[in-house]
Amino acid sequence: MNKLLAVVKREYLEGVRTRSFLITTMLGPLLMLGISVLPVMVMSRIGGGTTRIAVVDQTNRMYERVRDHITRDNAEATANRRNERTTRGGVSGARYELEQVALANNSLEETKRNLSERVRRGELNAYVVIPPNVLENGKVEYYARNTSDVFTAERMRNRITSAVVEQRMSDAQIDQGRLAELQRRVEIDAIKVDGEGERRDSGSFWLAYIVGGVIYAMVLLYGNAVLSSVVEEKTTRVSEVLFSSIRPLPLLAGKLLGVSLVALTQVIVWVLVSVLLSLYGAGALVASGAEFTLPRIRPEVYVYLILFFLVGYFVYSTCYALVGSMVTTAQEGTGMAMPITFMFVIAFVLTTPVISNPNSSFSVLMSLIPFFSPIIMLLRIMTETPPFWQIALSLLIGFASIVGLMWIAARVYRTGMLMYGKRATIPEVMRWVRQP
Amino acid sequence: MANDDVALAVNNVTKRYDDFTAVEDLSLAVRRGRIFGLIGPNGAGKTTTIRMIVGITAPDVGNIELLGRPVNLESQNRIGYLPEERGLYKKMKVGEQLRFFGQLKNLAPRAADEAADRWLEKLKLADWKNKKTDELSKGMQQKIQFITAVMHEPDLLILDEPFSGLDPVNSELLKETVLELKAAGRTIIFSTHLMEQAEKLCDDICLMNRSRKVLAGSLREVKSGFGRNAVALRYEGETNGVLDDKELVASVKDAGDYMEALLAEGADSQELLRRLVASGARVTKFEEVEPSLHEIFITKVNETS
Repeated sequence: MNKLLAVVKREYLEGVRTRSFLITTMLGPLLMLGISVLPVMVMSRIGGGTTRIAVVDQTNRMYERVRDHITRDNAEATANRRNERTTRGGVSGARYELEQVALANNSLEETKRNLSERVRRGELNAYVVIPPNVLENGKVEYYARNTSDVFTAERMRNRITSAVVEQRMSDAQIDQGRLAELQRRVEIDAIKVDGEGERRDSGSFWLAYIVGGVIYAMVLLYGNAVLSSVVEEKTTRVSEVLFSSIRPLPLLAGKLLGVSLVALTQVIVWVLVSVLLSLYGAGALVASGAEFTLPRIRPEVYVYLILFFLVGYFVYSTCYALVGSMVTTAQEGTGMAMPITFMFVIAFVLTTPVISNPNSSFSVLMSLIPFFSPIIMLLRIMTETPPFWQIALSLLIGFASIVGLMWIAARVYRTGMLMYGKRATIPEVMRWVRQP
Repeated sequence: MANDDVALAVNNVTKRYDDFTAVEDLSLAVRRGRIFGLIGPNGAGKTTTIRMIVGITAPDVGNIELLGRPVNLESQNRIGYLPEERGLYKKMKVGEQLRFFGQLKNLAPRAADEAADRWLEKLKLADWKNKKTDELSKGMQQKIQFITAVMHEPDLLILDEPFSGLDPVNSELLKETVLELKAAGRTIIFSTHLMEQAEKLCDDICLMNRSRKVLAGSLREVKSGFGRNAVALRYEGETNGVLDDKELVASVKDAGDYMEALLAEGADSQELLRRLVASGARVTKFEEVEPSLHEIFITKVNETS
């Protein structure tokens, strides 16, 4: 036991002291910040200026309505900027300034020439011509220097559409308030029926995907670290001294735990930073009046989440340890480890049939296989909670496979070390496992 | 020889890998407080034997006893092992490395630190304690490796080619240290294929070839039992054919400054000296020489190959 702890401690300290660990731990949150916040900031800075648009309203009835909509947009944008965050992408922070251009005595062609000239000079960003028959054929012309600024074009299209629809209804003498009321959509109130009665417990199945995603990310990030840590003693030839002092099983288990603790440390740092970041963001969201609805989850589900996360993470990383025990260099192992991630993809593909029929015998079988159970069983728990014995059996099989895989890896490692120099073939591995 | 005097007993041990027999029916008795030389050409089965003693592999047949008890996990803590293939963690600091290996031999962290300090001082490496291992020269790394083998004060110390890669000064330092350990009552197994070193250090030897033991015993017994009498000889003048007498001299070899006469079977060296003096030659050197371990090695290995 003391020896196992010494291995864990050595592995952990070695891991957290490497330069790459420090760099990724520090850069991770920066990267997250960059991906999530930076584009929004850039967009709102760019879109933060005023977009000037001239409107030639040949109907003489539409301009007021369009302007009202745009004014409302502007008020919203200002509110958003006060909260220093934007809810609907970057453009909502943009302000629009409308200007009505009357034809007066000029012809339409002449007016358009003038406006085009002003666009060219940069006084205007764009102009819109609303023809007299817009209510009938619903076509307007939009002129801009940058027609690929789809945000502005789209906004003008939406606002003019609203204005035109309102005008049409008002012409047909339809009361808008009444119409909106008649058209209100129904809402689904999902209530889960299970052995314990009825509960509003909907929308939590995505937690299974999140757990699956986190396991996948962790395995991708740290699987190779497990692999190279197992290979390390072969390349440095430390294994011979080690095996004269400690059995292969505690050695491999210690290494796996040590690397996992390194991974955990990094993830905790990242989670703390992103929680701090999102607390800041969420605070702003609450201040702006948005509502938060967290799915209601039974407390035992949290226990399942953690247990199945552990099964998933350790089943996959033990596979990396097993590959590490078979190969002579880490580079060789990276190629051989490819099929492991493939299993993960299968697990995700299986979610579709399982989610539509969570209690079919196929789903039950898949939720017992350790490579799939972390995602599939969680999905079943979240949708139609299976009997407890199935969950317990799945966990039992999961943890037993971890120990089994570890044991195989330890045997392969020891025998492989004794006849070093070449990579183990599968038949050799089978033989080594059986050897005393 | 099953008594208190025996530190390590290997009893009729056989080890096979697939269809290759690495060690066949090997029995050894290593006496307490002595240096036991395990010698033999490459591939003779020395390393496999050592690996079974330190518990890396188990014998297929036979058993191994340390201090009267079968080797097990506990006995691993009583053995120190310097393998031929050296290996240290390159990125680890020397002090931490020694603490780790000490802990693997069941030392408490503090006890490991104290032992490490003492040994670093003794082997003149104290200044390097906080350096990373890969900043050290090869010779220094080898001394660090030696410390990992001795720091937990093992009853049995196994050194596989301990002098390879060491300069003469460090070789001498290591040799003195090994002799000190012997004086302190430790049992040492010394594996090598360099016969000069084995000859200087060992009390007992076992010569292995092709998975088997071909010769064993104290160095004295082995040499005297080798049944070979040679005389180092230098003279001036004529010998009147004394050296050509096949009844007396089997062969004569030029050894540079002198000649080496191998006596015929049953011949007496004193008889040769008398005949030489009688022949009128002026004898300036006459010395009975024992066969060197090197010669025994070559002869025995060739006989059994």
